[in-house]
Amino acid sequence: MDSDTTNTGISRRLFLKGSILTPLTLALGGAAISAVYLRPTQARGFYLRPPGAIEEPRFLAACVKCGKCAQACPYQSIVMAGGEAGVGIGTPHIIPRETPCYLCPDLPCVKACPSGALDKQLTEVEKVRMGTAVIIDREGCLSIRGLRCEVCYRQCPLIDKAITIENRHNTRTGEHTIMEPVIHKDKCVGCGICEKVCVREKPVIAVQQRVTEQKDFYEF
Amino acid sequence: MNFKRWGIARCTVQLLMIALLASPLAGLAIFRGNLAAAELLGLPLADPLAFLQALLGGRVFVLSYLLSAMLVVGFYVLLGGRTFCGWVCPVGLITELADRLRKRLGTGTQTLPLTLNRWSLALVLLVVMVTGVPLFELFSPIGIISRAIVFAALVPLLLVAAILLVELLVARRVWCRSLCPLGGFYSLLAAASPLRIGFISERCTHCNDCLKACPVEEVLYPSLELNHPQVAAGDCIRCMACLDTCPTKALKISIGYQPLSRDATDPLKGGR
Repeated sequence: MDSDTTNTGISRRLFLKGSILTPLTLALGGAAISAVYLRPTQARGFYLRPPGAIEEPRFLAACVKCGKCAQACPYQSIVMAGGEAGVGIGTPHIIPRETPCYLCPDLPCVKACPSGALDKQLTEVEKVRMGTAVIIDREGCLSIRGLRCEVCYRQCPLIDKAITIENRHNTRTGEHTIMEPVIHKDKCVGCGICEKVCVREKPVIAVQQRVTEQKDFYEF
Repeated sequence: MNFKRWGIARCTVQLLMIALLASPLAGLAIFRGNLAAAELLGLPLADPLAFLQALLGGRVFVLSYLLSAMLVVGFYVLLGGRTFCGWVCPVGLITELADRLRKRLGTGTQTLPLTLNRWSLALVLLVVMVTGVPLFELFSPIGIISRAIVFAALVPLLLVAAILLVELLVARRVWCRSLCPLGGFYSLLAAASPLRIGFISERCTHCNDCLKACPVEEVLYPSLELNHPQVAAGDCIRCMACLDTCPTKALKISIGYQPLSRDATDPLKGGR
């Protein structure tokens, strides 16, 4: 502190503030924003939306994230996504292995939605198409291995419609019957009860995204 | 007058709003939803900006949703537009507390101009129209705070923390004053509102206490410098802090638009 020429008018306090705190603030803010939002949408996989949800890209904009559907759900099946959902932040979804949709006949979640993200034209539970169940691990399925399980079939709210049991001869033992659960996509509502009740540690049946009718590129 | 009548009333309303958001957790059935869309005692209410984003981005139109948004628009036109910022918004409450801390620390006194929020509103509407991404609903600290209260979604609160840090250290009240698109939306409504702050120039001693209390002090300039009979209505958040602080009661509530009298434009005649 000998002469005025070295004094730039910047106090130590201001220097510290400018050189440490400001970049720190920006870094923290930037990290928060990128951690929450800037991940590719596809990387997040499939979110099982509540009944009546319109197609996903429009749903993401139409949903105003008010949480009324989650508050209306008597089973608390509907949970609101946190930051991990990226552009889906704050949107409602169902984690079937934790709590599936139990298909209330009066669809209180659809009634609660103010914005039309859940389409009020849906009034019948059997017309719900949230997703579709798929046996994702045939080797793990006890029924397909020839044991008597069929829990998914028994618990399916659309028993004998969405899941049927197809009997066939067990060629391994040569004298028993394999009673294989078969899912019918045209009837399955995607409620996820089968995924919830599957007796294996990791469910061998799971709700997945519905594939819309595909136009074949050749004639059968 | 040290007793801050309006300040206490406002803080009570702000805390009541948070209590209302949290009320379903206590099993009360008076309120459902959050500030984007809600049901208060069976009356559907909707954030008009959230409605616009859902309409433009999601291409959904629900008549009852439009009506509930219009109800809110009507309410805020009558009661001063950015009254939302001063009395209802939980982010406003939190940034005000941070602002008190900032005054203690004496940091980040510079800030951005008020009119920027029109541009951020335009940006949000443009983005949702072109890409279908409801930009404000994604980043909205209002939604993040209400979901943290109702659904304990705590991680996105990082964004709120980032806003608070910036306001504390870099730019004073920059989110609420200049960047929030919802504030921009309500300031457009506020410009047409009959509920305004009136200014009696004869009583004013130019002590500038109101400027220190006002969170959006630019709105006082037309009155203090050019003797406008009313504070600029658009950006005023109707927090009434100026009414509480003015030692000579030069500021008061004024209903309806009062045009500028011819004398008043001339500071020499205006009793300065």
